[in-house]
This record gives sequence, C-alpha cells and structure tokens, in this order.
Amino acid sequence: MLRTAPERFESPEWVRISMASAIVLRFRSGRFSRDFPFGGINLLLQYEDGCRSDCAYCGLARTRPGTYTEKSFIRVDWPLVSTDDLVERMARYESALTRLCISMVTHGRAYADTCEIIRRIRRRVQTPLSVLVAPPTLTRERLQHFKDLGADMIGVGLDAVTESLFRRLRTDVPAGGLRWSNYWQVISWGREVFGPWKVNCHTLVGLGESDRDLVELFVRLRDRQIYAYLFSFNPEPDSRMGLHPKAPLTRWRRIQLVKFLVETEGFGMEHFRFHEDGTLAAIAAPRALVEQAVSSGLPFLTNGCPGADGRPGCTRPYGSYRPSEPFRDYPFVPTPEDLQVIRAQLALDEILPSPATTPAGGPVPSRPPELG
Amino acid sequence: MSGSTVRVGRYELMVDRLYDPEHHLWVLPVSDTRVRVGFDPLGVEVNGTLAQLVLAPLGTVVRRGEAFGSLEAAKFVGPLVAPVSGRVVAQNPVALSNPARIEQDPYGEGWLVELETTELPAERAYLLEGAERIALWFRERVEAYRREGVLAE
Repeated sequence: MLRTAPERFESPEWVRISMASAIVLRFRSGRFSRDFPFGGINLLLQYEDGCRSDCAYCGLARTRPGTYTEKSFIRVDWPLVSTDDLVERMARYESALTRLCISMVTHGRAYADTCEIIRRIRRRVQTPLSVLVAPPTLTRERLQHFKDLGADMIGVGLDAVTESLFRRLRTDVPAGGLRWSNYWQVISWGREVFGPWKVNCHTLVGLGESDRDLVELFVRLRDRQIYAYLFSFNPEPDSRMGLHPKAPLTRWRRIQLVKFLVETEGFGMEHFRFHEDGTLAAIAAPRALVEQAVSSGLPFLTNGCPGADGRPGCTRPYGSYRPSEPFRDYPFVPTPEDLQVIRAQLALDEILPSPATTPAGGPVPSRPPELG
Repeated sequence: MSGSTVRVGRYELMVDRLYDPEHHLWVLPVSDTRVRVGFDPLGVEVNGTLAQLVLAPLGTVVRRGEAFGSLEAAKFVGPLVAPVSGRVVAQNPVALSNPARIEQDPYGEGWLVELETTELPAERAYLLEGAERIALWFRERVEAYRREGVLAE
C-alpha cells in the first residue's frame, strides 16, 4: 500500500502572521479599537520543532510548555497561513501595505527558507521588506544575499541591552547558547551591507536593565547610524519570566522620550543625569526643546521600519499591551487627548530643570531630516 | 427561512427575538419582566478573536445605552451597551470563563446577561423584530462591514 507522508505545516510553504496582519489581509475578521490606517505585515517562520533558542522572556522559547504551534508570540496567536495564499493577498491589497517584515527563528532551515519567501514575495509585491534576522544562522554573505533578493533593512533582536543580562536570559539558560558577540558581529555586518539607518537593533525595556544601560546603547547605536527600536517587555504566560512585571509606564515614557532625543535631536550622555542605581534623574537640556519633542508626539510612536514614504510603516498595534491597557507605543501620532495622558505619565517636572535654570542652546540634530 | 431562523449569507439568525441594530445584541423575553441578552453572530465576529469578557455585577441598574460590561478581543476593546433598561439579575458563567463560547454559540451557551426590566414595552420601538426586517437590516450590515474590510474573506 502506498503511503504518503503527512503534510508538514512548515516554512517555506507555511508561515505564521501577526493577528493585525491577518485582519488587514482579511484572513481573519476583526478590527482595531481606534481607527487608523495600518499596513505593516509581519511574518514569522514556522517549524514543527520550533525555535531552537530558549530565551527566558520569549513566547516561542524551546522549553516553554506546549508545542510550537500552540505557543503564542507577543501574547496573541499568530495564525498559520500558506505562503502562496499570503503573497496572493499581499498583491491584492498592496496599495494599503506600508512595510513587510519576515521574522526568522533560530533554526537550521531558516536562512534558506527566508530566501525562498523573499523571492516569492518579490515576484508579486514591491512593498519595502525587512528581515528580523536570527544571528546564529547568518554570515556576512548571507546578509548580502538578503539585500540582493530585495530586503532593504534588517533588524537584530538584541533585546537584552547589556552583555551580562544577555548572558543570563539568552545564553546560560536550559537550551540556550546565543552569544552576545555573535549578535554584535551580525549588527556590524548588517551596517556594512545595508548602510546607514538601514539596520535596527531591538531593545526590550523591563528585563532588568537600568536606564543608563539603555541610554548608553542608544548613543552607541546612534553614533553608528543604527536605529534602536524600543519594545516594552510584556510577560508571556508560562515563560520563565511570566511573572516578571512590566516596566512602569512613567519609566517607559521617559525611555521613549530619551531615545528620541538621542536619535533625532543629537543628545549625548552629557545631557542626562542618573541616580546611583542607573535610574534617569534629569535631562539637562533646554526645556523648550524637550517640550517641543513631547508635543510632536513622535517619541511615543511605535518604532518600526518606515514605508516607502519615510513614515512609520510597521506599527504593530497593541503589540506589547492589551487593547484594554494604556497604550505603550502608539500606532498613530497621538492626539491632543493622548498627549495629555502621556504628559501625566511622563511627570516631566521631576526630571527637567525649571525654565529659569535651563541652559541656553542644545544639541544639534544628528539624523538627516528626511529620515523623520 | 425555516421555523424561527432566517439565513443571510453564511449567517443563521434567530428571529424569535428582538435586535438592537446599532450594537448587534439580541433581546429575548424569558418572562414578563425578564429578558436575556446576547450577541448576534455578526456582532461577535467583527470584534475579532475574543479574549476577555467583563460583566456588570448582579444588581447593577443600567439605562438603555449605558454599558453593562466590556468585551476585549485580540486588537479591540469596547463597551457592551444595554439594549434595554433594567437590572442585571444573571450573568452567564460559561461566557465569563470561556469567551470563545460567545463566538461558537452566540444564541445558546454564549448569552451574556439577563436583565429584569419593566421598560421593554416603551423601548421596544428602538429594537427590530420580524424575520423580514431583521434579514434586511442584517444584509445591509454585512455589506457595510465587508466594505470596511472588517470581515474575513
């Protein structure tokens, strides 16, 4: 009797997509609480034996209970779809799409499958495409190949912003082994291959790092013309950090503001004061400049790769908080009402000098204006 | 149309009850002074995959148009708006513990609350009844949601 192997729902034939992507491509019914345009499509490679990494905070961690298919990523289900159906839908709705992103996972087939998926997308769709890379699977040549195939940006999920934290959460864990040096090597290769402001480094706020650790990294990345993308730690139930609290909103808002000031307004370490434990104590800069940044609402937008028009293209609505919780990052420019809430959360008076003691002059912008 | 149901596209609607056309809730009188309230199938679907249901405590008095709870889905959160005025006298424990049942069986195990009310005769005018009117309204709503891109294809 002839037996056929059961179909395996794996990449490159199958991928998982974020729930927001599934809604905008009409694979799933649903809507967003607030009305805003959304066109950032996130894909995640799918393997039955899952990601080979075991990061303490991640929903896909190897030793988190459950099969890979049952696991949630960023707390919500990621529907499984056929890659060809997905590309078909992307082509149908391309005019609404702003940015595509393929998230690799640490797996032996991830590089080849990512290449194949980029090829299939690029045959039908020209929306800008990023790859969130899995450093252990890559070399400089492989990064170059992603670029040659049509990816214009890469992201590196460093997540833990100091070497000791990285080691504790991603290396010295039950089935871990990720290496800090490997991640930085890939960041460097990526910068060489893709160019200035075409590489981003994901940083998670709330894993146990200090504010000073974060700001030092922001400055270091900015000086290399690499974006830092902020993510707010959101505990995944049953993960090893499932009971670890999120960063308080005030801290989160201040970190968003500080990162914006570093990346966009040219602030350096000399513009910030820290308490002994590394907590931000003060911003030493003209109050008007800081107020202007806050009023723009831009520091509080989701950090994501831009669309073809330079505006935020990957905005991941409700990606690190539930719809019933206060916004962490905003997938749209905050309204005046939103800004009132943000100002209350920031409690700026605690960290800004009064106008009378404000130093004259300030840093100069460090990033080309066309990059927003 | 069969018995007390009517089919609109892929949706089967119970027409033995009244509907709040704005909020997609059905109202089923279960006694002279008591109604059961639940979602119609479209009202559930457009919110997306449900995550959590919160219902007002027993004894809460709500006016028509006020919230008697809230519902959270993967990317959406919104109030549950009372289709008639009344006092919350029962909550559905099945829906509370497993909101997925609201999607799976909106007319049966997925009901939401029961309200004690004497306002139904006065507020009936705000609600839809009769198979033909219900089907017409529902068809229009399906089309509108489809145009908005809220429904899966």
